Amino acid sequence: MSKTPEPAARDEREADLSRRSFLKGAGGAAAGAAFVQGAQATQEAAVADPEAGVRILSGATEIEMSVNGEARKVTVEPRTTLLSVLRTRLEPALTGTKEVCDNGNCGACTVLVDGKPVYSCLQLAVTVQGRPVTTIEGFGKPDQLSAVQEAFCANDGLMCGFCTPGFVVATEAALAKHSNPDADTIRHELAGNLCRCGTYDGVFKAVAEASAVRRGGAK
Amino acid sequence: MSANKSNRRADPAWKPRSEMKLINTAMRRVDGPDKVTGRAMYSADMRLPNMVYARLVLLQVPRAVVEKIDVSRALEVEGCVLAQPYVEAGTEVLYSGDDSVVAYVAAETEEAAEDAARAVRLTLMPGPVLVTRLQSLAPGAAEVTSDGNVGRLREQGDEEDAVLGLSESDVLIEETYELPIQHHLCLETHGCVVDYDGEQATVYASTQAVTSNQGEFAQLLDLPSDKVRIVTEHMGGGFGAKFGAGVEGGIACTIAKQLKRPVHLLLDRPQEFQMGGNRSGTHARVKAGATADGTLRVIQAEVDRLGGVGGGSFPGLPYIYEAEARHVKDRSVHTASDSSRAMRAPGHPQASFIMESVMDELAYGLAMDPLEFRKRNLGDDVWHRHLDTVAQEIGWAAHPNKTAAGAPDDDGMAEGIGFAVATWGAGGRRGAECEVRLNPDGSVTSSCAVQDLGTGARTYVAAIPAEEFGLPLDAVTARIGDSSLPPGVGSGGSVTTGSVAPAVKAAAHGAREAMEKRLAEAIPGDVDGFVWADGRVRSTGGADFDVSFREACAMLGTQPVAVTAGHDRSLQARGQLHGAQAVRVRVDTWTGRVQVVKMVAIQDQGLPMNRMALESQIKGGMIQALSYGLLEERVFDNEHGWLLTDNMETYRVAGTKEIPELVAIIDDEDDRPVTGMAEAPVIPGQSALSNAIYNACGARLRAVPFTPDRVLAALGLLS
Repeated sequence: MSKTPEPAARDEREADLSRRSFLKGAGGAAAGAAFVQGAQATQEAAVADPEAGVRILSGATEIEMSVNGEARKVTVEPRTTLLSVLRTRLEPALTGTKEVCDNGNCGACTVLVDGKPVYSCLQLAVTVQGRPVTTIEGFGKPDQLSAVQEAFCANDGLMCGFCTPGFVVATEAALAKHSNPDADTIRHELAGNLCRCGTYDGVFKAVAEASAVRRGGAK
Repeated sequence: MSANKSNRRADPAWKPRSEMKLINTAMRRVDGPDKVTGRAMYSADMRLPNMVYARLVLLQVPRAVVEKIDVSRALEVEGCVLAQPYVEAGTEVLYSGDDSVVAYVAAETEEAAEDAARAVRLTLMPGPVLVTRLQSLAPGAAEVTSDGNVGRLREQGDEEDAVLGLSESDVLIEETYELPIQHHLCLETHGCVVDYDGEQATVYASTQAVTSNQGEFAQLLDLPSDKVRIVTEHMGGGFGAKFGAGVEGGIACTIAKQLKRPVHLLLDRPQEFQMGGNRSGTHARVKAGATADGTLRVIQAEVDRLGGVGGGSFPGLPYIYEAEARHVKDRSVHTASDSSRAMRAPGHPQASFIMESVMDELAYGLAMDPLEFRKRNLGDDVWHRHLDTVAQEIGWAAHPNKTAAGAPDDDGMAEGIGFAVATWGAGGRRGAECEVRLNPDGSVTSSCAVQDLGTGARTYVAAIPAEEFGLPLDAVTARIGDSSLPPGVGSGGSVTTGSVAPAVKAAAHGAREAMEKRLAEAIPGDVDGFVWADGRVRSTGGADFDVSFREACAMLGTQPVAVTAGHDRSLQARGQLHGAQAVRVRVDTWTGRVQVVKMVAIQDQGLPMNRMALESQIKGGMIQALSYGLLEERVFDNEHGWLLTDNMETYRVAGTKEIPELVAIIDDEDDRPVTGMAEAPVIPGQSALSNAIYNACGARLRAVPFTPDRVLAALGLLS
């Protein structure tokens, strides 16, 4: 495993995070490196470039995350995705966020980072240090549902339920952005989420109803 | 005790619908709160102490001799605890699918398992590529299966009758229709978590058949069935693809036996596409004729079922319609890809597309209203009524082009309407049992091993006893998805509800009678009977007895009432299901893009258990049909045999922007008892959609899906 930055390192410095597939795929056996601004800590020696403020992480690294308002320490590799951290590395695991395509196509793994919806399968865990992460578990509990969750139940916005956490989180984000979305806006905001059972109609009704409730209007 | 306290037993029977408080109303799913908060645990979510993550290694080419399998580098991966070949060196992998599994690994983390799987080195001698119908049928083609490339020939009807019919027809068509292979695309992939300690095991399986999985996994684990428990609290879709343990289940058991550690083995998404099942494709050459009075005179067809190494499904032609003569031959044409599996109404959407296209082409050929032409050739009045209902809802009466295709407006847009009908069998099967238990503290459980695929089974397992005792829905706890409970049935062919709901009803009825007997013995005075309503129970007759349900249960002392009952045929619907759908589309004749504006369905289903879940399921069927019609298609690279559509980017399904206005009409004139109906509403949608495209602009689509290039080609705008 190389701890030395490869020649391409400087070119990658500004790399967009959507290069995750490259980074993830380029990792051989527990190898791979990520180039992260403002990384907090590394178990193995990190090669720092003080001028650029860039740290190069490699190998198992302990990071600190804020998940649903709680500080969590977790050991990750640079190529470990946020989805993988939530589902398999946190103790106890947060399995409400689902893995479906692991390819940024379906939205089942949607969580909020800095209050904005992201596909957690496309985020490297090391990049969310110091940025608040909100998962489906952060919104409501079965006996204390959020307005969105309540509306999904009331309008049968779910069948098998596997896409549901992603839809709920995407809806929470959409309603934070639009207080009174029309039908086209709802479709647009949820266009990144796929359901196979075909429960979209219930979802649309749920979003409209939740937005009305959040505005303080009647159902 | 006086004589009139004797327990008068009656056969269980559903109450009149007008008296029902829960059943046949719109109920929230009882597991909704768990699902919307992420608390619902699916098999893929199981996290057990000391668990390993396992992963399969699949060949990417459909056929090859595996000359060498080297797992040594996989074992060097940090965290890898096991890496083994699944087949011996020298084995010929015969097709792309579950035969492609050549090795497996297990590791401490998912990432290490992925690395280890990638580190397995294979030396291959690729074989011939036989992934399309034409490759398989080419002269001198290598054999796909030991039985050859063509099999399971069937022939219906008489050739001479058909030839005569064609000569006597006033309008004839001769066309070829094609349907692609479609995937189930369950959002939770196939697999399980096996927790085995050497003496007993719990298997968290994503399965449509909890009860029968028990014996299957017991065999795989070399354990007696009573030492194996299958748990499927929730599952992320099935649609017919998830019955047996599969290769993946077998390997999970092998690893568990070897390591004596819990094993998590769920397919990844590309593997799910490669080996997780599919709906067979279809190629049909059809001749058909009708007479000027609007009678379907004859259909003659040669149909190839394209089910990979499997047989594929096809119910025959003229499918739901009546023809004076027919001669239909169908056969399997095998390709070196995985076997088709049961998928929601196996074979029916394919037959529907072919037959409804034929009906439409003949109707317009006669310059007849296609709705009218259908009704003339459908025997059962229910379909006439269903077609009239959807025609009214879609606005057929006011539609301008009823007997010929329309033309686009100046902006290139054209609007059209199409129709199609559905069928399936009603009812259930024997075998399901349910226990209803009333505890002295007033809690009630209703227990059956049956799984809930997202259909809402858990909700009616609770609702039926709640209805029986006049309780709110949340007063009953449904326990399902566990093989240690009374047996359920496999969820296939829409039989679950018709099998399980009668057993639940019989158990609830039995528990009520047993409870009434206990109460009657305890109550001083004459008791004629009991009324259970609004959370209370009162006696009729002389005795003055009127208490809350909880108080009544307290009279049980320490001994609960528990009654188990089996399936009762008198409580289920029999015969046939019907259904009709209408679709309104807008076609952009400049780009070939099809926008579905509105879909309408009517469905008969006997006594609805939960009107909200029922409506969702009808709409779900419509959406899956829309998705099949517009987007879905499994594509292999013909030269190398690689599966090109092995992710959700290249295999597209309908998302929010494809969804039209949806109207699902529950046919309340069907006064039969309970039945499932999930297969029926997935059958006709793509057929009605295709017919709507023709009605809009004259583009006849004879191949699914109706992609823009095909629309433009049908309009004669592509060479």
